[in-house]
Amino acid sequence: MSLRTKQTIIAGLSLIFLISLIYVQRMEVVRRQEESGIIKPHIAVPSSSQDCVSCHLNSTPGIIQHWEGSTHAEKGIGCVECHQAQKGDVDGFTHYGQFIATIVTPRDCAQCHQNVAHEFEQSHHSKAGNILASLDNFLAETVEGSREVFNPHSPTPGKAVSQVNGMASAFSGCLQCHGSKIGFKAEDGGMITVDDLKPDKEGHPTVQKAVSRILRDSEGKPIFHEGTWPNTGIGRLNLDGSKGSCSACHSRHDFSPRRARQPENCGKCHLGPDHPQKEIYEESKHGVAYRDLKHKMNLDSEKWVLGKDYSAAPTCATCHMSGHSKNDGKITHDVGERISWTNRPPVSLVMDTDKDHKIVVETDPGKRAEKIHDTALAKRNRMKAVCTHCHTPSYVNGFYKQYDDLVILYNEKFAKSGKKIIASLRKEGLITKTQFDEEIEWTWFYLWHHEGRRARHGASMMAPDYTHWHGMFEVADRFYMELIPQAREIAKHASKEGLDLKSSRVNRVIDQILSRPEHKWFKEGAEDAMKKIRKNMKSRYGHRDV
Amino acid sequence: MSHVSNWIQKRIPVDFNKLSDVTNEPVPNHMKLWWFCLGGTPAYLFMVQIITGILLAMYYQAGPSVAYESVRYITEEVAFGWYIRSLHKWASILMVAAVILHQMRVYFTGAYRKPRELNWMVGMFLLLCTLILGFTGYSLVFEQLSYWGATVAANITDTIPVLGTIMKKMLLGGDGYNEHTLSRFFILHGAVLPVTMILLVVVHIALIRLHGVTEFQSNEEPPSSKRHFDFFPDHVLTELMLGLVLMILLSALATVFPASMGPVASPLQTPEVIKPEWYFYVTFRWLKLFSLTTAVVSMGFIVFIMFVWPFIDAWLVRRTKVSEISVWIGIVAVFIIVAMTVWEAAVQH
Repeated sequence: MSLRTKQTIIAGLSLIFLISLIYVQRMEVVRRQEESGIIKPHIAVPSSSQDCVSCHLNSTPGIIQHWEGSTHAEKGIGCVECHQAQKGDVDGFTHYGQFIATIVTPRDCAQCHQNVAHEFEQSHHSKAGNILASLDNFLAETVEGSREVFNPHSPTPGKAVSQVNGMASAFSGCLQCHGSKIGFKAEDGGMITVDDLKPDKEGHPTVQKAVSRILRDSEGKPIFHEGTWPNTGIGRLNLDGSKGSCSACHSRHDFSPRRARQPENCGKCHLGPDHPQKEIYEESKHGVAYRDLKHKMNLDSEKWVLGKDYSAAPTCATCHMSGHSKNDGKITHDVGERISWTNRPPVSLVMDTDKDHKIVVETDPGKRAEKIHDTALAKRNRMKAVCTHCHTPSYVNGFYKQYDDLVILYNEKFAKSGKKIIASLRKEGLITKTQFDEEIEWTWFYLWHHEGRRARHGASMMAPDYTHWHGMFEVADRFYMELIPQAREIAKHASKEGLDLKSSRVNRVIDQILSRPEHKWFKEGAEDAMKKIRKNMKSRYGHRDV
Repeated sequence: MSHVSNWIQKRIPVDFNKLSDVTNEPVPNHMKLWWFCLGGTPAYLFMVQIITGILLAMYYQAGPSVAYESVRYITEEVAFGWYIRSLHKWASILMVAAVILHQMRVYFTGAYRKPRELNWMVGMFLLLCTLILGFTGYSLVFEQLSYWGATVAANITDTIPVLGTIMKKMLLGGDGYNEHTLSRFFILHGAVLPVTMILLVVVHIALIRLHGVTEFQSNEEPPSSKRHFDFFPDHVLTELMLGLVLMILLSALATVFPASMGPVASPLQTPEVIKPEWYFYVTFRWLKLFSLTTAVVSMGFIVFIMFVWPFIDAWLVRRTKVSEISVWIGIVAVFIIVAMTVWEAAVQH
């Protein structure tokens, strides 16, 4: 080859290389434009999911369109990547040549989001399914419904009703937030759940006898028990042994981070008479600021770091989960990591937790210190790091003093007293062991489960009306006007029936409680206190009746 | 112009004409054949690796908690980060391939024979350095393959008789994978190995220049014809063409198949299937065929044989009087290597 030919070839190759660099530059510009939202991201359907997309575009176009708007689609994560089942997965079935599963569990998401899944696993959210064995579930399954199917009273015109499903309230209510125990229909008419399958570490069932009993359709697809699926409850008990559902917050199939950052997302479950966090937030200045400044929240930003990407207002995610400028933007999916009190039980507990993330209830200081793995103080300091983006340390500390005082007031004045009275009645056998079959049990439940929580949650999130009128006011009303009279009445009734000793023991407990300084006003009157209040009013407003 | 030349000449008292004579060594005619340029190819790719590696090191952070995120940052957020990382990845793959092809060319043409035995051994060191660079490179990403690959490598090292345990400790910076392991890999990958390679390449090229390139004569070439051509500009232009083709190829691979990221490393989750990069398939398959200690010791023995092959070859030729015996042994060895690589690639476990 002559030198001239070589030079010509080099010139040609240089031109091709230059064109390739221009192409790279173009790719970079397009990438930046997509990131900043100037142009819509190009979606390339992964080859493994081409068939799924072309078919589901007609059968379920919404699913495809949602997916097209997702980060997954932008990154080339298609249907198969999440829905693909592994050999041995109990819920796997062949669907047009692909071995897939309907339900995507945290174990599946962990293939890519390992750390997030691990944090979530540690959280109280993932354990929300524990309600299946709690008092609340007794309410839904027995008091509101029935654990056994029963016959209808009379025909329903236009609807053939042969049997009544007594679990309907639990299935459509409690479990849609807390999570169901996913079940397959069994060939013998029963249900097969994780308890029967006993999955191993890899999530594969170990009891093949249970697998063989699963009812399948003509394609071999296992048939879900309708009561347990559909369900996106956050503590769902999955067939592979994993707990939870990522789609509880990251709605499928667009998995929008923007939506997960908004309080309305949490409001699917955190609302209502017993845990109205959403309404409490809306009442607070945080919620007011959010409504006003939502357009400045930069909700579409990739990382959404408080103090860097936005500062306009906090949402639920901001305080409890999101990264901020003081922790290098580290997000947590353990929602309890920054919570220092649990206000869920009748008596609030300090969130000193052991290595299994369980609250330490040990009272001996030495033993307690040994068991604590993560202190409530450390959790509070993590929350304070969020607060101090907008508030001074003295302001934050002042708030926490007010919050602590309210929780302790509720605990000491009403919760421990009420608990003692109910315990005394039960110990003396004056109320049955069955919950909710006596009026006083409903009274006590309203007091702590509804009103008591509202007061504590209201104080925790700066909502004065929920703390007072929907909270402590109603707690006090329930305690003095219902719980005490009803307990006295039960004792009186017992006395009439000749159970004087039991009656007097219950009355003694009530008397001891009411003789304490904080309850003295109820027994002995409070005219002196009223006089002082009237005097103050007069000096401030100049007349008596304001 | 002469004023400038004089100024330079006074400050750098080197006779550039003599230097030109030294560097412009006559190149044998066979070097006009493309497959004889495979020695320049890895050198060129090594330069690409150094430049892209420096750019990547500006953002990379070595540490289990930050490594993966820093690679993600490079890939997704840094301007042209994805391109630089993809070039680095593809250049590493092509470099391994080029080194292997170069070694095969040297082997089958007998270019390692007396007096070039030592340069063959330098080349063997360069091959090992290239493979270790590849291994430490993908360990830095801290994805599942990185973590479990390093863990498997540490366990293999542990089985080496006598020195295994201490070597494993030195590799990992402790008894097991810990927070110091990645920084060791990073220093090896970004400093120790590249500097070692630069020194070895200098020795490699110096020995080539001192011995001269092995000359081959084509049967079609009349004995009286001119047997050499000029290094400059003839050979330099050939290398430049090759470099441009490589750069276009790299650019195309980087844009069509950009470097992606696997799942983040999880010490708690052992992957069901783990496979190293393709160039370790043969060793991986070897490990599966025998008990770990047998496989490691036999592999060490094979590498030793490869190192001292020029001397073994000379002994075999003397003994058998068959001058091409190494070619037949080479064909069998290549067949075994290719077969085991394909075998490993074809099966899941």
